[in-house]
Amino acid sequence: MTDKAAPSSLYRRGRATTDNPGTDGMIDPVSLMRIKSMELRAKVIVEGFWKGIHRSPYHGFSVEFTEYRQYTLGDDPRYIDWRLYARSDRFYVKKFEDETNLCCHLLIDHSRSMGYGSGGYTKSQYAGTLAATLAYFLFTQGDAVGLTIFDDQLRKYFAPRNRPGYLRRLMLALEASPEGSATDLGPPLQHIAGMLTRRGLIVLISDLLTSIDRLEPDLGCLCAGGHDVVVFHVLDPAELNFDFNSPAIFQDMESGRNMYVNPSDVQTSYRRMLDKHLAKAKSICQNLGIDYHLFPTDRPLDLALLDFLQDRMRRRKRGRYRGGSKVRTNV
Amino acid sequence: MSFLYPLFLAGIAAVGLPIVLHMIRRHTRKRVEFSSLMFLRTTIPRFKNRSRLENLLLLILRCLILCLLAFAFSRPFFPREAVESRVRLGSRIVLLIDTSASMRRAGMWDQAISEAQSVLDSVDQADRVCVMSFDQSTKTQIGFEQWGALDPTQRKSVVIEHISKLSPGWALTNLGSALVSAAEAIEDDEVNDGQQTIAMRQVVLISDLQEGSNLEAMHAYEWPEEMELVVKLVRCQGTTNAALQLVTDRSGFGGSADDSPLGIRITNSSDATAERFQLNWADETAASASSRAVDVYVPPGHSIVVRAPDRADESKARKLILTGDDHDFDNTLYLAPHLQQQVNILYIGSDDPNDSKGMLYYVRRAFGATSALKPHVISRPGSKTIAAAEIETAHLIITADVVNQENLVSLRRYLESGRTLLLVLKSIDEAKTLATLAGIETIESQEADVDRYAMLSRIEFKHPLLTLFSEPRFGDFTQIHFWKYRRINIGDLPDARVLAHFDSGDPAWIELPVGKGSLLVFTCGWHPSDSQLALSSKFVPLLYSILEYGGVLAGQQSQYFVGDHIPIPQSMKLEPANLQIRKPDNSLVSLDAGQRVFTQTDLPGIYTIESSAENQLFAVNLPARECQTAAMPIEDLERFGVLFKQTSASLVEPSSSVALERTSQARRHSSFAGLEYEQKVWRWVFIALLAVSLIEIWLAGWLTRPVQRTENRGQKTEDREQRTEDRHLTSDL
Repeated sequence: MTDKAAPSSLYRRGRATTDNPGTDGMIDPVSLMRIKSMELRAKVIVEGFWKGIHRSPYHGFSVEFTEYRQYTLGDDPRYIDWRLYARSDRFYVKKFEDETNLCCHLLIDHSRSMGYGSGGYTKSQYAGTLAATLAYFLFTQGDAVGLTIFDDQLRKYFAPRNRPGYLRRLMLALEASPEGSATDLGPPLQHIAGMLTRRGLIVLISDLLTSIDRLEPDLGCLCAGGHDVVVFHVLDPAELNFDFNSPAIFQDMESGRNMYVNPSDVQTSYRRMLDKHLAKAKSICQNLGIDYHLFPTDRPLDLALLDFLQDRMRRRKRGRYRGGSKVRTNV
Repeated sequence: MSFLYPLFLAGIAAVGLPIVLHMIRRHTRKRVEFSSLMFLRTTIPRFKNRSRLENLLLLILRCLILCLLAFAFSRPFFPREAVESRVRLGSRIVLLIDTSASMRRAGMWDQAISEAQSVLDSVDQADRVCVMSFDQSTKTQIGFEQWGALDPTQRKSVVIEHISKLSPGWALTNLGSALVSAAEAIEDDEVNDGQQTIAMRQVVLISDLQEGSNLEAMHAYEWPEEMELVVKLVRCQGTTNAALQLVTDRSGFGGSADDSPLGIRITNSSDATAERFQLNWADETAASASSRAVDVYVPPGHSIVVRAPDRADESKARKLILTGDDHDFDNTLYLAPHLQQQVNILYIGSDDPNDSKGMLYYVRRAFGATSALKPHVISRPGSKTIAAAEIETAHLIITADVVNQENLVSLRRYLESGRTLLLVLKSIDEAKTLATLAGIETIESQEADVDRYAMLSRIEFKHPLLTLFSEPRFGDFTQIHFWKYRRINIGDLPDARVLAHFDSGDPAWIELPVGKGSLLVFTCGWHPSDSQLALSSKFVPLLYSILEYGGVLAGQQSQYFVGDHIPIPQSMKLEPANLQIRKPDNSLVSLDAGQRVFTQTDLPGIYTIESSAENQLFAVNLPARECQTAAMPIEDLERFGVLFKQTSASLVEPSSSVALERTSQARRHSSFAGLEYEQKVWRWVFIALLAVSLIEIWLAGWLTRPVQRTENRGQKTEDREQRTEDRHLTSDL
């Protein structure tokens, strides 16, 4: 398929199956990945999402009024409520939830393991498209979006901005294929935590195929900075199921190590170890207050966007209820 | 042991292929890239132990099959020492010496004699030798019997002396017939001798092997096995040989009487080095020769037709000479003087020559003068007495009138002397003439009652008179209508043969033998009141056919080749005295009376038939085929299955060492092929191959059953061995 493919052919048809529950009418990732341009992929997902969101009850969120405060000398007279002054002959200043836009930072894992894909596209491409979708969505809302690409060290960094043409730069960076070596979240995340002084949203998209023991302190350094962190754990269906048929020599994409494996013999133990790994990752995220999403690469990307927004809404309400931070997002 | 095609032995190397493949394919080659191996544990691969060959006997048998296959294809044979030993037993050798005209080239005959001497020098006491010479025919000079009768100590000298008396003739080369005669001579001698020991059979051919050699006889002859041909090729110094032949047909009776220029074909040999030649008459003076000579340019292997140079004196010039090539044996073309033949035709009838309603009018126009024929038609009424000389000198008499008794006697005598007379029954009154000429008293005749018209049917096209109409396109006589004809009772003429009938069944044309001659009777005239015959296209050919049937036109061919049989003209055959033919070397050959052909045309030149009345000349030339002197490829003989003995250095160009080597190899290979063909060792190898294949099939079948039974029993041992092997492999991975 080319860039000019009919958008209608991108959507899944037929009834929902057990493997893909509720994905009817969603965009098929295989078809989507055939679109060469990353920006166009993101546009297709977001615009399709907008169509659906009109029917959604989650609408109308924007900058919200919180309270009045007595005007004191030094306050900006722009925020004086003149109507209340007319009624009460007193100066009051309106306070809003957050006077600035969201500052979102996308962290993309570009280690070699992200280059694996069994369905015609790699995890890296899927992760890139997911990041592009979020970036496009946030950019259209006027939020500042930054991008960091890393493997075992920081490869590319784009500071969060919302300038015309900046989205294009991000898209070009996301189109690059993974060139790094092994996955190591520690150094790049610590580096990012040091660089981001302004609190915001950090979206980490990775396969987390690294030592699970180092995951908690690595993510903890992000949370310690007061950032809202969302983790999209991207895995290929073949990685999740390990449904290979014949014995073969398996080669580690990161280390190059060879291992003769008979899938029928190791499938059970593989799944057991993987489930353990996933459960550990999820519990770590929960402990740190991080939203964790496991994303097989055959899952429609508009669902990812929907999950993301629902989480944000839940977090906003939770934040209100707890009376926590005054910082609020407009999403 | 030697091999005809040793390269096929390289196929034995294919044996190693399955073994190597067996050894190389130790484990799976499938390689899969995976994101991370952190959740995987290695599996112990279940490989078969390929480093150890199983079923060794089966493998050996299969390898043996491949080896035997390669061995059979390499066509093995044993170098034959036995054959060499046969020579010592005594061989039969035919020494075949070419005496054709092409051997007249400079130095070739001496070379042939020396080759013959060298062959005779190598002949053993036990050998039997036959010496044959051949050109167009093969002549046995010294047969096996004669050789056997000679004193063994004197044999060689006698034969060499005999051979030295031979000389090349002028005839063409019939090589095929000579080879067949030589092979048959050996076989006949074996049968006659009844010798039980197997002797070497060898034909030693001493020839120039020219391109023009006739090999047709070999097509119908299967060359005997173990009959070897040794070719002693004789070569001359120069290779340029041009020849000339006459291409203008001078024997035709059609066309005008004017002399047209002669067309001469000049042929240059394919291995010629010169291309420019000169053509001139032989008896021109030196001064005029240079001015009249024709320069001819003929590339090697080509031929062109040129006009002969003008002749100063046509009566003398009888020899055309070609100059400029290396060999002059075929450079002369003899031409007999071109003479118009006088043909006297006596028409007995009272027709006006200029009356188109009469028959004479058409006879005079049919016999017009041509370049070869000068007809002279004399008309005489039948009622008056015709001079006996006029009847005697007439080549053809046409009688269309009632003839008086005196003339009838002369005509009867004319017929009995072997001439032909045409009697046309214009009216029933001529029936008496017919009866008298036929020698019967009377014959019944009446005017036929014709309904509108009659046509010819049942024509005897096989009769020499009518063979020229035998082709379907010429044999349609239905367009000729006959208005009137005379019916005669054919039963009155017992020896008559009806050549054509009318559609009513009545005879139209009859032939009646009278003495040595024949009387042709037409029951209908060709004048317009009787029929349309004179106006048809058949009339003139029919009259000329009658002339030819009477022997008048025979012997008109002016050019013959050496070895041809020359028919004697009919008019000369009737000469009372014996004819003499003077050959070009001025020798005289007497012909018996009534001899129809002259066969001793062994020299090119002008022959003269001398008779009391007049002399007739004819030219005999060298056959064109004999002039093709380029060397014939030796493969032409191999196509007929001829088995060559060994390489002779004289077979190849002495200047070319590469060619010598190649020819040597080719002949050696040919000799080996002959040996291999005789021994056919490959058949035994294939039998062995079949036997090994059967054993292999049986063994493979036998081995599968025990393997299945012991599979479980040996499983543990096998697994243990595999683990040991796999441990090494896993550590490698």
